[in-house]
Amino acid sequence: MSPMSETVPMLRRGDAVPRPAPVPPPPGCWRLARGEWHLLIERRALAVGLSLLALLLAASLAYLCLGQQWLSPAGAWVALHGEGDVMAAFVVQELRLPRLLAAWLTGAAFALAGCLMQALARNRLATPGIIGIDNGATAFAVASVVGLGASLAPPAMALAGAATAAAVTFGVASGGDTRGYRFIVAGIGIGAVFGAVTQVLLARVDIDTANAAYPWTVGTLNARPGGAVTILALGLAVGWPLALGLARSLSLMRFSDAVARGLGVGLRRRRAQVLALSVLLTALAVAVAGPVGMVALIGPEIARSLASPRGVPLTASALAGALVMVLADLTGRLLLAPIELPVGIVTAVVGGPWLLWILMRPAKRKSP
Amino acid sequence: MSVSLSKTPFLVGACLAAAFTVASGVAQARNLDTAHGQVEVPDAPERVVTLYEGALDASLAAGVMPVGAVTTRGGDDVARYIEPHLDDERPSIVGVVREVNMEAVVAERPDLILAGPRLADAQYALLSKIAPTVVPESPGITPEAWKAEARQYGRALGREAAVNDAIDGVETRAAEMAERLDAGDIDATANLVRWMPQGPLVMSDQLFSTGLLAAVGLEVDAAGLLNGRGVHSDPLSLENLSRLQGDWLFLATLNEEGDEALAAAEESPAFARLPVVENGRVVPVDGQLWTSANGPLAAEAILDDIEAALLP
Amino acid sequence: MSQGVIANTEPRPPAGLSGVLLLLTGLLGLAALASLLWGAGDVGASRALAVLFGVGDEEARFVVETLRLPRTLIGIAVGLALGVSGALLQAVSRNPLAEPGLLGVSAGAAFAVAVALWLGASAATLRVAVAQVGALVGCLSVMSVVRLRGLGDDPVRLVLAGAAFSALLASLTSLLLLFDQRTADEIRFWVVGSLAGRRLDDLMAVLPSLALALVVTGLIARPLAALALGERVASGLGHRPGRVRALVVLAVALLVGAATAIAGPIAFVGLVVPFAARSLAGPDIRRTLWLCLPLGPLMVLSADVVSRLVVAPSELSLGVLTALVGAPVLVAVVRARRLPVL
Repeated sequence: MSPMSETVPMLRRGDAVPRPAPVPPPPGCWRLARGEWHLLIERRALAVGLSLLALLLAASLAYLCLGQQWLSPAGAWVALHGEGDVMAAFVVQELRLPRLLAAWLTGAAFALAGCLMQALARNRLATPGIIGIDNGATAFAVASVVGLGASLAPPAMALAGAATAAAVTFGVASGGDTRGYRFIVAGIGIGAVFGAVTQVLLARVDIDTANAAYPWTVGTLNARPGGAVTILALGLAVGWPLALGLARSLSLMRFSDAVARGLGVGLRRRRAQVLALSVLLTALAVAVAGPVGMVALIGPEIARSLASPRGVPLTASALAGALVMVLADLTGRLLLAPIELPVGIVTAVVGGPWLLWILMRPAKRKSP
Repeated sequence: MSVSLSKTPFLVGACLAAAFTVASGVAQARNLDTAHGQVEVPDAPERVVTLYEGALDASLAAGVMPVGAVTTRGGDDVARYIEPHLDDERPSIVGVVREVNMEAVVAERPDLILAGPRLADAQYALLSKIAPTVVPESPGITPEAWKAEARQYGRALGREAAVNDAIDGVETRAAEMAERLDAGDIDATANLVRWMPQGPLVMSDQLFSTGLLAAVGLEVDAAGLLNGRGVHSDPLSLENLSRLQGDWLFLATLNEEGDEALAAAEESPAFARLPVVENGRVVPVDGQLWTSANGPLAAEAILDDIEAALLP
Repeated sequence: MSQGVIANTEPRPPAGLSGVLLLLTGLLGLAALASLLWGAGDVGASRALAVLFGVGDEEARFVVETLRLPRTLIGIAVGLALGVSGALLQAVSRNPLAEPGLLGVSAGAAFAVAVALWLGASAATLRVAVAQVGALVGCLSVMSVVRLRGLGDDPVRLVLAGAAFSALLASLTSLLLLFDQRTADEIRFWVVGSLAGRRLDDLMAVLPSLALALVVTGLIARPLAALALGERVASGLGHRPGRVRALVVLAVALLVGAATAIAGPIAFVGLVVPFAARSLAGPDIRRTLWLCLPLGPLMVLSADVVSRLVVAPSELSLGVLTALVGAPVLVAVVRARRLPVL
């Protein structure tokens, strides 16, 4: 019996229930209470989320305005509604808007998947792209383009490839062991095999076909298949809430296994769930944009540097990933116009030095 | 060939339809059969964008200067052999073959887009909203495929006669060269290869350029080396280099100095001891032209190369 | 952590290894013979054998002497370099997964060569130097990760760092390819390692640095074994850990750079060979290094012979075969109940 209960006076039936003295919210949080429902809002997380959202919207506006044809924000708004100049309307409605949506969705999915796997492995380098999921997708998509298994379109094959890579890795690593480390290393090995297969496929075809396969080897948002985008949107609509549902377990899993278990986390099941969700989101995103794995590293990294160290910043990661994707694709469209730089290359060139910095930086804290 | 023949009845219909629309005073347009079904194209397109090397070639051969084109592979502009056919006005670049910049295409405000047979469906979906987009029905990799493609581009441009003339010109010239070679008593065989440090890539006898070699009477024997597979071999094992028994060896590179590739190849002892090398019958050729291009103008340029090498 | 090593503390030559060593050398001899006898071409075993006895026809003599013999020698050199570099890297990082390919050292060398090709360099000697500098940079990056982030006790983190590093280099290579399609066309075939078409001159260009690296390896084998017992022990025995590590990095860079300059990036040899050596001879680096000498060439030559035969008259890339062999070994290493810490 807690000491608090003694101070609560006895109630008779019919009395108005007096509100228990509100527990002061933890520092840095707001508490919203309505009836029995309480919502703790971490002020910092809220601020980070809102500012990332604002940045994302600003970047998206720039994305709609800039390109081969420059529009004012007002002009873009008019064009967005299909009014005004026909050409501007077409450029905004048919070219920039779908591509912007694809950038949002893929960026969010990649970063969310990356954040999940990083939290699972307690390692900020452990992302689906690094452990070979992207490689599997690329190998299958390239196989489809060069005419093997041609019955399926490249996006479907990319999906199948990511699933195959994940399944093989799951199989040989026999499920999610401690921290999924076995899974990660096995994934790197399987990824190397798929990478070699891709190289062989590309070396064996004529350069026309190799060119046709090129987008699937670097990752691009130029003229992506609409169906895959829709499926990704659905996947994200399901996956994001699921990820948020796993967030509490994830934040506990940052502690040692014993602590997590003591706090009631079913570790084996949770790990398998996190892995599966992460792989699924990556596969759906790769089917749209090809391997843009670097976003899975950069997005969560930005989120972590902004958010409080208390939880796993899933939402912030997704927003940051979308932001990175939009900015990177905008850069790729503008930098060498009329030649387009694929977004995968932009993220790699920008993310590369960042990655090196993460690798080289002396560890400040013991756990990431 | 068979493809263009099978189109004839439809063509008649298309012409009738065109005549009808002219008579009724509606916007002039024709229907065209493409790989993506029937497409309505303007009668005399004025702003053409080509997204494929063969399409650019066919347009120029038909006398239409495109307003936009993609770069050739290995360069940051159109292919070198195209340059003599350009005057002061030249197509602006709208991307590379593997990444077409859609906004640049829109900015040209095209009334006709000519794309390659390997265009991805998602790209077609966008392009066809910009302007009528013609993707030729390709009969696959055969030496005659380029003619069917060029004729289809010619039909799209409303200038099939000009393209046909150009193709006839190529055929006549090839036949004439074949006669001269025959008279010169050259009963010769030839191979086309690209040189890689691991060994040569033997190009198929089903390609555009090897088809022209065959047309002038050179026997191209690649079947035994290709192992029954598509367009070119894996790098042929150096141990099997002696199987390159052709009397002539056309050595293609993607850089300008074919001689450099020849020098690199000659450093290999297995290459240097080939009879064809000892006889000095290796012809370095421009890979942009021989392995990337197709179309009537490219055919003329390749015939120039063959003539310079075999009929000096 | 070091129970296994303590059993082998006395500094002594690899006694009891001579039997295994002899056997492996015999196997290597057989593999070399096979490499001379079989190829993708028409010259079969009997004709090639005749050449070895000095009686073969002209064509067979050309194939065996000018094509297969240099290739065999180069295969031996590459296998030697990669096997030894893997053993060194694993010993110094105390990590059974440390492998030049997995850690991005090979990728560093390959990327450096791609940049050199892009800038127009083509001379063989220059290529070797460039590849070695690239390998050195890659190696230093990896080592600084080990040192700075204290990852020595966590095998997987190091591999992840290497994988990330490799991914970075792969992206940078695609950037190069975007700007220059001619390089693209050549690199398409160069990014997968192979022994085909390499000449003895190429081997001559790397021999000095290979020899130097092997001498350095001989000198540091003992301090390295001491280091396996911990820095204090090593210092107590009169070794300077910092200097030992620097020498290891130097040797690995020379070895991997040389191998990559001749054959292109060949992954997993540096993983499989020390793994096999350890399972034969135990964890003592002085013993495993001896076994790596025949095992590395054995693996590379066997893979090369297979690569010639599967798609004759063409050839498969060697790098693909080593990846196919290496990935299961990698999985086997991590499937072990606990990752062994060296």
